Amino acid sequence: MSYGNGQKMSFLEANARQRANWLVDEGSFTELLGPQDRMTSPHLPALGEAVSFDDGVVTGVGRIGTRPVFVISQEGRFIGGAVGEVHGAKMVGIFRLALDAYKAAAEKHPDDLDAYRPAVVISFETGGVRLHEANAGLLAHAEVMDMIQDTKGKLPVISLIGSKVGCFGGMGFVAAATDAIIMSPLGRLGLTGPEVIEQEMGKEEFDASDKSLVSRTTGGKHKYIMQDCNILVEDTIMGFRRALCDLLAQPYEKVCACRRIGSYQLVKEQMDLVALAVELNPGDAKDVWRYYGNEHPEQLPELETAEFLRVVHRRPKEVR
Amino acid sequence: MESMIGRGRDAISMIVDPDSFAENQVGNVQVPEGYGPGAVVGTASLNGRPVTILANDAQAVNPRFPVVYFGVIGMEEAYKMASAVYESILADRDKPVGEKRPLLLIVDTPGNGPGKVEEIFGMNKATGAYQLALAEARKAGHAVIAMVIGRAISGAFLCHGLQADHILALPKECGTMIHVMPLTSISRITKMDIERLEELSQESPVFAAGVDFFYRLGGVEEIVPAPEGMRDALARHVELVEALKREGHYEQTGPWSRGALGAERGGRTTRPEVLRRMAEEFAAVSSSYLA
Repeated sequence: MSYGNGQKMSFLEANARQRANWLVDEGSFTELLGPQDRMTSPHLPALGEAVSFDDGVVTGVGRIGTRPVFVISQEGRFIGGAVGEVHGAKMVGIFRLALDAYKAAAEKHPDDLDAYRPAVVISFETGGVRLHEANAGLLAHAEVMDMIQDTKGKLPVISLIGSKVGCFGGMGFVAAATDAIIMSPLGRLGLTGPEVIEQEMGKEEFDASDKSLVSRTTGGKHKYIMQDCNILVEDTIMGFRRALCDLLAQPYEKVCACRRIGSYQLVKEQMDLVALAVELNPGDAKDVWRYYGNEHPEQLPELETAEFLRVVHRRPKEVR
Repeated sequence: MESMIGRGRDAISMIVDPDSFAENQVGNVQVPEGYGPGAVVGTASLNGRPVTILANDAQAVNPRFPVVYFGVIGMEEAYKMASAVYESILADRDKPVGEKRPLLLIVDTPGNGPGKVEEIFGMNKATGAYQLALAEARKAGHAVIAMVIGRAISGAFLCHGLQADHILALPKECGTMIHVMPLTSISRITKMDIERLEELSQESPVFAAGVDFFYRLGGVEEIVPAPEGMRDALARHVELVEALKREGHYEQTGPWSRGALGAERGGRTTRPEVLRRMAEEFAAVSSSYLA
């Protein structure tokens, strides 16, 4: 498919390599440690599992305007996009390269850094740790969080969430730790996946097969209302790309202002939000939507994205 | 051997100077009584020096969030711990590296709060916030040392432990458990025979449960043979980490250094190869990206 036609494609349907290629400027993407390198998991064969030549993640570098954009794009079709040793190391590798590139850009363009400042973009599609190599996957998550802290004050890290598997488990907090989050209404973000909540709390409390319940609790529209998603876009590659380009065109400080955690002040705001959770004790996300001034919360899931964005009331940045 | 599971408060007493622990007091801030009861935070002395304590209380339940019991870290708990970390950074912001108060994490937690309200309000943010705070403290020059006394399970270990400079653990004979999932669950999910998995786990530490396997992967710096040794071991690792930081060797502690340790101990040998080849491939094209 051509780059132009790719832009119109559903983000949900696109595979990791298509997303990586089409999110950055046309023809600018170079894959690093791609399938030709055949860097596969050393652990899966022992368990009798098939390997993938990219270990379920496409990593590389592209450009948006004058800016190098380092891309991590996870592939849900391979073991649910779960993170093992190689997959995790590829994520860490991208951050290392981006931090080096930042150093180079800061030296070369001290007066015009915003135009050349590298960015990291993560297109999430994962449930977190890969059980087959769980310990290595776990340690890789800690490394990625460490890297994200290293980027603070240097370069933006942007999350894109709109793929089939969603973004759960440890990667749910990795996404939360990034600077800005772009989602489509089909995107799913959380810590504990729906099946695990059902297992822990019982089906009457949380029925994981109830798709609208899952969407109301973890979906892009809910996260947008809560300010946990900064930008809500249509489910197209173009939708995500435009939002990404617009965001990166802002001064870096504006991107940092999208953060929800990562400072004492933000933690205090989140603590106010937890107090509100106690006060409201919502049985459903709709109770929270109503609290924020959406008089007919039951209608919100049905609305087209543009209409939703026109009518929705979000959490004010100050909780009360 | 004596098990420390569920005994976070006992562990604090065994580690710090006698009667030195002031619960809920960190820097200039008093944490409200009863907030996030599954987490214990406060200030104590270790050989006369102030340290910030961050521990789990497996005996406590959180009346506002019923998923918090037996050491689970819920939203209040994670933000309470994050606040204690930020207060520690603030209190010592003008002190040089080496004089900033160490942060001691006493780890005995089975998980992060799983629940509907948690997901509606974003438990992912709470655990992420605490991890970022710890990483910030570590990079600001505080020594951050984790002591696994009981359970360090999956995401909860990421939340409370894996951002430390150094991680110590009591041996498996004390009942210490470090894992993502027990082999029985891995067997159920991967549909692999449990006997076969047990056999494989002898050669490959990468999915098996246990302190020794994490040690081989570089996920644990040192196994402390018995609970009586915790105090001295923590004090020694505070010194080691501070010495490295005074010299500016920040890459020789924390998650990144545990990667190197994992290769050294033969548990994670592909990781360095991945990093090396990515850097090499980027170097070949970098001139067209770094204008």
